[in-house]
Amino acid sequence: MLKNIILTAFTAVFAENIIFSGALGTSTLIIVSRSRKNLLGFGLSVTYITALMSVLTYFINQALSFDEKSYIYTPLVYIIILGAVYILTLLCMWRFAPAMFGRMKKYIHISAFNCAVLGSLFLISERCNTLGEYFIHGIGMGLGFVLAVYLTAIVYDRLYSEKAPYSFRGYPLLLVYIGILSMAFWGLSGYTLKF
Amino acid sequence: MSNGNDNNNSFKKIIKNGLINKNPILVSGMVIAPVIVLANNFNDAVMLVAAFSLITFFTLLISSFVPKSIVYTIRIILYTLIGAVVYVPSVMLLEYLMPEGVEAIGIFFPLFITNSFIVTRSESIFFLETKGKMILDIIFCIIGYDAAVLIFSAVREILASGTIGGKITGMPSSFRVFEHPFGGFILLGLFAALFRSILLLIKRVQK
Repeated sequence: MLKNIILTAFTAVFAENIIFSGALGTSTLIIVSRSRKNLLGFGLSVTYITALMSVLTYFINQALSFDEKSYIYTPLVYIIILGAVYILTLLCMWRFAPAMFGRMKKYIHISAFNCAVLGSLFLISERCNTLGEYFIHGIGMGLGFVLAVYLTAIVYDRLYSEKAPYSFRGYPLLLVYIGILSMAFWGLSGYTLKF
Repeated sequence: MSNGNDNNNSFKKIIKNGLINKNPILVSGMVIAPVIVLANNFNDAVMLVAAFSLITFFTLLISSFVPKSIVYTIRIILYTLIGAVVYVPSVMLLEYLMPEGVEAIGIFFPLFITNSFIVTRSESIFFLETKGKMILDIIFCIIGYDAAVLIFSAVREILASGTIGGKITGMPSSFRVFEHPFGGFILLGLFAALFRSILLLIKRVQK
């Protein structure tokens, strides 16, 4: 049981990392990695939202499973629930942790409404069957996203350094860097290039 | 007279920003996930730009009517909700026109609901002075995105398999690495660097 949990979490964080294997949430990563100041808070809020939403997604999918055409309106249902979770979270923070609310209110919307969170929900729905799998994958994908943001943030200054050639400085170099990391993560999942 | 010139310059600036100076893919790094994963062949890229254009244009257009007096916390939910509602007729329309295409882009179609245009760029677009300028800005940002994606996918497909739109070009290249997301990241990085070099060269020549 424990072995399965660890294996599922490891797969979600590393082998099927949401950024390095699926590029989901790359635009958000580019915005967030600019500052290391709020990285922990942002990471925790993304992981919290993906974990909580993955559990709720399990029940939503169960409720909608009778309808073959549900894929047309499922995103709308996800967004309504995500919106409710987002507002409730903000209200709880404002009521019980006002200092944290003050620090996080600027970027909590980016941690809730992005392709990484919504993409995680779709991927989890495709890959998981039980509530436990949904939950562990949810946490793993959130942590995988945080790992990707962290690995980008630590080299951000170098990628944007004056020493880098002008044409490559910043965004182009960032993409090449993510590409090289992505290749390493694909290797980790056992993939070998066929030339 | 000067008002007319100002307007002309302002429109030119909007067009130039959308297509070149703030090109969503090559300069700003917006909505790049589907490009990295799916734009490895021209046919899927056509479907991708159709889905992106439909959802983004109508979502931003409808969202621009959301009153600015509503706090941002709520506005952001309304924008994505509008996106999710626009997704319904969009998926039905494209499924009717190109059923295989919708299947090919899979989960990336609904992901356009939370694309960074809608979530982060919308605010700066909505605060433009007039509706006309706002619509023009949206249209040219979308055209800039679509053009970059189509060119990128064509080059990527040629490099990866020597074909374009599935048809053999006669080019002997087969760098399969470019079919994968990591190849997509690296190639897009090279594209962005090349684009910046060209812009720099043009500026120098103009000077």
